[in-house]
Amino acid sequence: MKEIDNEKAPFFKSWNSWYILVIGFLLLLIILFFFITKRFS
Amino acid sequence: MSLADWIVLVVTLLSIVAYGLYKSRTSRNLDGYFLSNRSMPWGLVLLSIMGTQASAITFLSAPGQAYTDGMRFVQYYFGIPLAMVVISIFFVPIFHRLRVYTAYEYLEQRFDGKTRTLTSLLFFLQRGLSTGISVFAPSIILSSLLGWDIIWTNLFMGGLLIIYTMSGGAKAVAYTQQIQLFIVFTGMFLAAYMVVKMLPADVGFSDALQVGGKLGKLNIISTGFTEKGFNWSDQYNLLSGIIGGFFLALSYFGTDQSQVGRYLTAKSLKESRMGLLMNGIVKVPMQFLILLIGVLVFTFYQFNNAPIFFNDVQLKKLEASAYKDSLKIVQGQYAAVAVNKQQAVRDYTMARHAGEEEKETASLASLQSLQKESDSLRKKVVFWLNKKVPGGDGNDTNYIFLRFVVDHLPVGLVGLLIAIIFLASWGSIAAAINSLASCSMVDFHRRFTKKKDSGEDEYRLSKWYTLGWGVFCIIVAMFTYNIGNSLIEAVNILGSLFYGVILGVFLVAFFFKKITNSNPVFWGAILAQVMVLFVFILTKIGVFQMGFLWLNPIGAFGVVGFTLLLDQFVFAKKS
Repeated sequence: MKEIDNEKAPFFKSWNSWYILVIGFLLLLIILFFFITKRFS
Repeated sequence: MSLADWIVLVVTLLSIVAYGLYKSRTSRNLDGYFLSNRSMPWGLVLLSIMGTQASAITFLSAPGQAYTDGMRFVQYYFGIPLAMVVISIFFVPIFHRLRVYTAYEYLEQRFDGKTRTLTSLLFFLQRGLSTGISVFAPSIILSSLLGWDIIWTNLFMGGLLIIYTMSGGAKAVAYTQQIQLFIVFTGMFLAAYMVVKMLPADVGFSDALQVGGKLGKLNIISTGFTEKGFNWSDQYNLLSGIIGGFFLALSYFGTDQSQVGRYLTAKSLKESRMGLLMNGIVKVPMQFLILLIGVLVFTFYQFNNAPIFFNDVQLKKLEASAYKDSLKIVQGQYAAVAVNKQQAVRDYTMARHAGEEEKETASLASLQSLQKESDSLRKKVVFWLNKKVPGGDGNDTNYIFLRFVVDHLPVGLVGLLIAIIFLASWGSIAAAINSLASCSMVDFHRRFTKKKDSGEDEYRLSKWYTLGWGVFCIIVAMFTYNIGNSLIEAVNILGSLFYGVILGVFLVAFFFKKITNSNPVFWGAILAQVMVLFVFILTKIGVFQMGFLWLNPIGAFGVVGFTLLLDQFVFAKKS
């Protein structure tokens, strides 16, 4: 994905890394919730 | 409420108003009043976004939802992180580059004035009414539980915040939201701690989760698929949460001025993006924890007597009806089941601790069977209230947590938890009236008045618009009381009726650059709005069943589809 603006992303090289982090964290939560659901059902 | 609770409540509320006034100083023009001179760091933007979205009902309803239906409600929020990414990539850079005050201002530059006016009007309709209900909904709960006068409760709920919102605009809203959220989270954490502390001495947090889970309250993920296929009427499941929730969040955070106005206050594009992306990270865990409090409250009531119905006002209606004798019988049965349940849950936890598997299995089976019995007795009361008692309301979800607070939490903490209801309301209502005022000023006043006002005049007028919308919302709240409780549910769906269409207009603007003629998108939006209302009516009269979240993608894709068709077959020929 092309950088739309020239403001640098904090902590990472590009904003794409931030987007991956946000979506990856969601996936991680869904997996965690899935296991909690299974564990306690 | 005790004197100590009153002191905590009054001091907390007055401190927030005073802090809001202290932070009110800003430059006397629209940039200062509505956008805080575009000077906010991402941390404040994040708290402002969160404080705007989280209303009192968020903190009251979510634990009640977990109590009655389990934690699957959290799936409703799964679309938010995805929406934050899309908004950060496509929406925010455009809003920043054009330096707009409102999201709808962009539509005039992209299409024309009438498209801007249409979307602003849809925003007024939806946000104006739902903010009125945001005043009424917590007021009626406090009024019912504590016996407060509804008119005064409405006035305090919707009135005090107007003082600092009118005085300091977006800056005062953002700074007070920061303190409000801090107090709200502290109070919720203390409430969760107290629930666990009030469980029997040998029952800990993991036991509480075990009991809640075995009784079906930790059903966090559900697919929505049954033996007959996908259940479209199921409101909260993985698919509706990700797809429907994504479109709802995209519309709300990307096109609702009450949210757009928050991240436009950021000092740069980077700060706006960071605020939104961090919201995408923290929102789901935050809702998970709030729902978890509901599961803990549920477990607490396994060891203690729970009311058969949590809204006393409705229960009194039932007591005054022809069902009063039946109610007495059911209440007696419910109490008897509760005694057996308390014994079964103690047996279960003791067997778990002792590692006696057979006893554990047997006591769990007994507990689950008693819970079913208890649920079916509660359902009878709900049925009578919904179907047999005139003006009855069988939904007590919003009352469960606060009733627990009032009945069981210690002096002082009750006052703090009541203050939290006010503060959470103020955060979202203040942002809403600030955004309604900015739209009134920028999207209407500036465009339709012939006289050119100075920056100072616009600043002064904006304050009056803020006051006007504040008063309007209180009036809506007063009328809601006259109409009745059922409107609360209807207004929860209001957002989904209009958001999809507004989003659809923005999707065409962002992603269909070949559409340059404004007429296809304008008429496409009107047709899609009619279609959404038609689909909604069909679901209401029972022609088919569908969760309200699906109205969002229907509205958005409806606008895109109609626009492309009109552009191809109607307006192309004319041009």
